[in-house]
Amino acid sequence: MVYCLFAIVIVISIYTARHYWFTLNRLFGFQRHPYIDTDTADWPQVTILVAAHNEEKVVSHILAALMGVNYPAERMLVVPVNDRSTDRTREIIDRFSEEHPGRIRPFHRTGGKGGKAAALKDAMELVDTEVILIFDADYIPGTGLIKQLVAPFFDPEVGGVMGRVVPLNVGTNLLTRLLDLERSGGYQVDQQARMNLRLVPQHGGTVAGVRLSALKEIGGWNDNSLTEDTDLTYRLLLAGWKTVYQNRSECYEEVPETWHVRIKQIMRWAKGHNQALANYSLHLLFGKHRATLRERIDGFLLLGVYIMAPLTLFGWLLALGVFYEGIAPLHGVIALLSITAYSAIGNFAAFFEIAAAARLDYTRQRICLLPFLILGFGVSIFSVSRAFVSQLMAPLTGAQFHWDKTERFRTTP
Amino acid sequence: MSHAVATAGLFALAGALFLLPLVPAIAELRLKRDAQALNVIQQYAGDIRHFSFGFRSYAADLLGPLQQCVASGGTVTGTLPHGDLYILLGRADTAPLVRPGANANTCDLLVACGTDLTLSDGMTFAKEIYALRRLTGGSGCSYRAILGDASVDLARGSAVTRWAHAAGILRADHDCDLYGRISSEREIELKSGCLFQRLHAPRIRFGPAVALARGGAARPLSPGSVPLAVAEGRRLVDGDLEIAPGETVQGSVVARGKLWIGAGARILGSVKSNKHMKVEAGVSVAGSLISASTMHIGPDCRIAGPVIAEQEMVLETGVRCGFPSRPTTVSAPAIEVEEGVVVCGTIWARNEGHVTPKP
Repeated sequence: MVYCLFAIVIVISIYTARHYWFTLNRLFGFQRHPYIDTDTADWPQVTILVAAHNEEKVVSHILAALMGVNYPAERMLVVPVNDRSTDRTREIIDRFSEEHPGRIRPFHRTGGKGGKAAALKDAMELVDTEVILIFDADYIPGTGLIKQLVAPFFDPEVGGVMGRVVPLNVGTNLLTRLLDLERSGGYQVDQQARMNLRLVPQHGGTVAGVRLSALKEIGGWNDNSLTEDTDLTYRLLLAGWKTVYQNRSECYEEVPETWHVRIKQIMRWAKGHNQALANYSLHLLFGKHRATLRERIDGFLLLGVYIMAPLTLFGWLLALGVFYEGIAPLHGVIALLSITAYSAIGNFAAFFEIAAAARLDYTRQRICLLPFLILGFGVSIFSVSRAFVSQLMAPLTGAQFHWDKTERFRTTP
Repeated sequence: MSHAVATAGLFALAGALFLLPLVPAIAELRLKRDAQALNVIQQYAGDIRHFSFGFRSYAADLLGPLQQCVASGGTVTGTLPHGDLYILLGRADTAPLVRPGANANTCDLLVACGTDLTLSDGMTFAKEIYALRRLTGGSGCSYRAILGDASVDLARGSAVTRWAHAAGILRADHDCDLYGRISSEREIELKSGCLFQRLHAPRIRFGPAVALARGGAARPLSPGSVPLAVAEGRRLVDGDLEIAPGETVQGSVVARGKLWIGAGARILGSVKSNKHMKVEAGVSVAGSLISASTMHIGPDCRIAGPVIAEQEMVLETGVRCGFPSRPTTVSAPAIEVEEGVVVCGTIWARNEGHVTPKP
């Protein structure tokens, strides 16, 4: 039991060190933005897929925003992928299509497998451009965003591009404020540090792009995956394509406003991520492919992030067991120093990352909310662990994976 | 004090200490001092002319009075709604630019001129200059910003600290320091010794036009679309790569190590190296040229697509990037450009660019 606890402590320590490495790199290291200065080019044809399943509250906003971008209109086709919507999504998309002839080509999907990956896979029949951009329907791209996301594709090593997600409905309640902080840490620090260090920036499946030839080479969208973006990241990596992160390509999104919706969202992410862990981790670490050594290690650690929650819970239980068994895994001063060191540094690694992100964003006041993040982490740790357990039990219970659409809250017309 | 009171006091104190770190958090949650979405500039598209467009609208009210000054040959001073003092010159006379009692070499007025204007040497212009006709600077002058509706000539040793935009040709003589954004709707010409950061024009010429020299001309590229499709034969090499002189490569090439392209080679796709890239004389590339490290492009090369290096870049004389009909971007933190280089589109040295004499 005590050795098992030691193993968990070592794993947690590795992730703690990783948090600090990324944060310090972001604060003091060289920042890579190699493609962001590409403002003039012979811009290629691009197809923009907008995934929409019952998105009547938001879909008009993204279509209007896309019609206002500064990308050459004759080189840009917007394909709203209306995935079996039962609300007014179809009507709204068709209206926009009529108002902007030749610029919007709707893809109405009335049946087939559920999930975003399956919808995107079906919509590929309308795509014949080398560059494909993907947005969820609740996003609002700015004027220059499309050029910024297309620019990295001039690099023949780039297979995928990811921009920065910025919550729009920040001030709604405590949850949205906590999610705003989490997003800041995740993008401003975590993703950009991985870009700086030439590790594995993650494709997020929205505010994102993929190269058609790379997608074809890896076999297209995986409609068995709950997180097609994570799946895509690893298949591109294994085939020798880079995913790049563009921190300055920012786009507004809507974050969940209720804990129920948030829990469903994070459980889906956890299950999808764990799917990718099961599918790719061993091959990534030990297989013969085109990823570099540092990409193998970082990619493996990235795959493991959602396993850390159940592992931490298990570690707590083990620590209790060890205590009541009367076993002292460490003695005297070493025990005291270890616990003090972890309390002083380890516990705060993620908080340090988020605080650094808020500093980099020049949003100093919101750092005051950091203590409340314990609440968010508490909910996450149990939700992710629950997702993990249900995944383990699925073969016994016969439960099938299904796609839970994230509910929207926008009320403005 | 009873035990009960002492215990309750202890719990209250412990509770207060526990809640203490939450006080700023609760205050922020209630007061919402920083609860706005992060400021993502939705409408700013990164256009190099952003500030010149902004200034043009800011100064639009001056156009009518300026035309009157030109008609009368007079000079008018006044104050703009935001409080800036301005002077309108209806004739080519620089004497009124210095206010009585002020430093003789400093003009702290926003200047708008309706005629051709030649400035004195060594002047400092603390505010913007708006020239409706040709503007010729004096040597050693320092400008905050210039908007020219015709051509703008900056004399030797001048400096621009914010931006300059010309509807006509913008020329900078030797040893000018051009910080910020410099743009022209026709052409920019920079001579050796100039420093720059961001330049944009249909044609950017470094130094006088030169005849093709050392390596001979690259094989011509058609100004067709820059190829992006790399599926057909993307060549990915894990180590260093050498492309033989005169070789023609179909599709794109990616080297995880260093890349050397021999003289006269022709790449019908894009090229990427993760370490130093050396391109010998007379190479032509139909797509883009990307280095995750340093890049050295030899004389007389032709590159159609974007040219990007994550560290230093050197462009030797005779290099041509982009076409007037299909402009492109050349970018790196530090760029050294020899006289004789032509770039169609944008050249952006995030830290500093430097024009060196032709060897």
